[in-house]
Amino acid sequence: MKFKTVGKLGAVALASAFILAACGNKGADSDKSVSFQENSELATLDPSKVTDVVGMTQLGNTEEGLYRIGKDNKIENALATSTKVSDNNKQYTFTIRKGTKWSNGDTVTAKDFVYSWQRTVNPKTASQYAYIFSGIKNADKIAAGKANYKTLGVKAEGNDKLVVSLDRPIPYFKLLMGMPQFFPQSEKAVEKYGSKYGTSASTTVYNGPFKLEGWTGSNLSWKLVKNNTYWDKSAVKMDKINYQVVKDSGTAVNMYNSKKLDRVYINGDQVKNYKNSKDYLKYLMASTFYLEFNEKKDKYFQNEKIREALSLAVDRSQYTNKVLGDGSVPATGLTSAGLAKDPKTGKDFAKEVDVPSASEYDLSKAKKLMAEGLKEEGLKTLNFQLLSDDTTNGKATTEFLQAAWEKIPNVKVSLSNIPFKNRLANSASGKFDVVVSAWGADFSDPISFLQLFTSDNSLNNGKWKNAEYDKLINAANTTDAGKPEARWNDMKKAEQILLKDEGIAPLYQQAYSFLQRDNIKGIVYNSAGLNFNFKDMYVK
Amino acid sequence: MVRYLARRIFYLLVTLFLIASVTFFLMKLMPGTPLNNQAKLTPSQIKVIYAQYGLNKPVWQQYLSYLVNAVHGNFGTSFQFNNQPVSYLIGSRIGPSAIIGGQGMLLGIVLGIITGSLSAIRKNTWVDATANIISILGMSIPSFVLAIVLQYYLGLKLQAFPVAGWGGFASTVLPSIALAANPFAVTSRFVRTEMVDVMGSDYIELARAKGLSENGVVYHHALRNSLIPLVTVIGPLAVAIMTGSMVVENIFSIPGIGEQFVKSILVNDYPTIMGVTMLFSGLLCLVLLITDIVYGLIDPRIRLAGKEG
Repeated sequence: MKFKTVGKLGAVALASAFILAACGNKGADSDKSVSFQENSELATLDPSKVTDVVGMTQLGNTEEGLYRIGKDNKIENALATSTKVSDNNKQYTFTIRKGTKWSNGDTVTAKDFVYSWQRTVNPKTASQYAYIFSGIKNADKIAAGKANYKTLGVKAEGNDKLVVSLDRPIPYFKLLMGMPQFFPQSEKAVEKYGSKYGTSASTTVYNGPFKLEGWTGSNLSWKLVKNNTYWDKSAVKMDKINYQVVKDSGTAVNMYNSKKLDRVYINGDQVKNYKNSKDYLKYLMASTFYLEFNEKKDKYFQNEKIREALSLAVDRSQYTNKVLGDGSVPATGLTSAGLAKDPKTGKDFAKEVDVPSASEYDLSKAKKLMAEGLKEEGLKTLNFQLLSDDTTNGKATTEFLQAAWEKIPNVKVSLSNIPFKNRLANSASGKFDVVVSAWGADFSDPISFLQLFTSDNSLNNGKWKNAEYDKLINAANTTDAGKPEARWNDMKKAEQILLKDEGIAPLYQQAYSFLQRDNIKGIVYNSAGLNFNFKDMYVK
Repeated sequence: MVRYLARRIFYLLVTLFLIASVTFFLMKLMPGTPLNNQAKLTPSQIKVIYAQYGLNKPVWQQYLSYLVNAVHGNFGTSFQFNNQPVSYLIGSRIGPSAIIGGQGMLLGIVLGIITGSLSAIRKNTWVDATANIISILGMSIPSFVLAIVLQYYLGLKLQAFPVAGWGGFASTVLPSIALAANPFAVTSRFVRTEMVDVMGSDYIELARAKGLSENGVVYHHALRNSLIPLVTVIGPLAVAIMTGSMVVENIFSIPGIGEQFVKSILVNDYPTIMGVTMLFSGLLCLVLLITDIVYGLIDPRIRLAGKEG
């Protein structure tokens, strides 16, 4: 019968597909190459345009600036061989390493820095990171359209001297130099490739430890290959890092378990399964989630007792362990743990701040404070809406907080979970009562968090105000900018004020959770700026 | 025929225009901005960047310039992928989608025809019942669930196919099977119904009476006549494949257009959203048009109806 023949044919075809596929399976790669997952596409290799972790990671390992940021934010000379800082901390003179090459054979010079920085602050470039140049001479004026981008305070003296002038001292200036936004760019390459610059592996030039290959601009796989023209190539131990974009985390774990990938991101459910595996790896991010109370819209949130009661009613360790379960940890303050160390004692900023009332759980005290607060405000009940994202975590968060708060008598909470960008828009325009906000630091300095809550900062959504706080932050940025210890104390005091006054209520600090083969060593992780540095990475 | 075709093409263009307009305004209603770094930018910084992207102009101006450009086939450059023309993004990603979509469709329809006709011939036997159950499963299990199950068992456990990724025929097998489920179920149900109908008709009786072998009857008369109406479901099947591919491509990490589409909506990449929407709707309109023409060619009654209507 005809159908039988077709059926047989089908069976044979399917069987041979199986066999062919089985033949295609490779064994594990050699020692000097590994395969990593990314969870999003690489959008650009243009340092003026990069905005996300994927792009920053690739740029940080294929390009290089004045410094490379090592373990624990250690500043290591890269293209700078020496640095001279003026007495008023407003001028930096860098000597540029001689004879380092772009992958097209050209020499990297001080002019490449000037060109790159000017290009980024030029409003025509529409860089989303131009703001990070604020503090460098004329950067703010250029951003406001009041000065030409060529007036930026950076100039080249010959090929190997770079002079940077600042409007005001920037205490974290050296850390910034490790970010891709401050890397050099070859004018010749940018001009040659025009609008194609940085849009594919072949329309970019490299000066870092690795070169990128196989990226077409829109595909889902590429590789980092050791750059043989890199000045310090003998320090680079890996030959190849393969990248595969996998957006579905279930798929990523399946690929890890079938040995196709050696390092994958995992989510909350998977953390529960792999928490005790030797391959489980957790990095705390410089990203804090916190509550903002809208003191402008809802007058009762100006009452500190009400804010404190709401903060005290949240059991943060139950929340991170049982509800989120993705490796996140309770936040004890605004500035994330592991971000920056005391210049004198070497102690972590978040630990030194130490305001227990900001993150402790005490329901009976919360009830008492709420009763007092309501009385002071002349209110019988507190009715408000909690705003957050519509993600899995966002919904889990709002439900948890609602249940926690409604344990306090006379508190009624309604929930609003909306898309991330919508939430940002509503936060910015003050359309909320209480919102779950998040902030990630751009660089490893507490000021990256703390400057958010000065009374004039447009990203201070709840409009919390404190004159002493403003004064301290201002001092840290101006008078004390050149005195590391005084500045540290300013920032510490400021955060203590913010927390004691419950200007925000910290919730949790996010973590990257990975599965990674335990023989992969030497990856340098810093929670802010460039996250992952593979220069010294090796496989044991 | 020419008049009929001209009218159909005219309607097709009107449809595309409406889709383009509705999508444009719906997209503008979407919350947020296309800026990746939005959370860190102050309103005045956002304004400066908007001016460079031309997003500061009144919506009607953006709409007009978008329409003019779209007619020229220019959808601009992506916001998500810096400086990448939308046409390039689509061009480089349509291949993988076409391959798994085409294979899925073909596999589903061929298997569907086989199963459907088998169950019609063996009506009310265990063969029919089994086929029935399989097609109900195929209809009701979403393609992404099937994708995950296939990935886990055939990819991870048996290691018969790559778990995910793109490269070579082997990597297309699982996604194609996942996509084939729905076309398979629809085709199989459809063919069974049609064939049962045909098998009971007079000319089959005549053929049998003439002494034709049962195989001859089935193959030459019953099957052929039951397949003609199948042409009408190809359009809807193509829709199912396209929507299914968005999820399936994501699960198998296939650099396809559906995967791109989902991402571009999440990040408010307006030019890419518009480009891909127009591509999808254009393709669908085209499939429907071709289906109608082919059907008209096979069955003259349809063409006449078209002329009169």
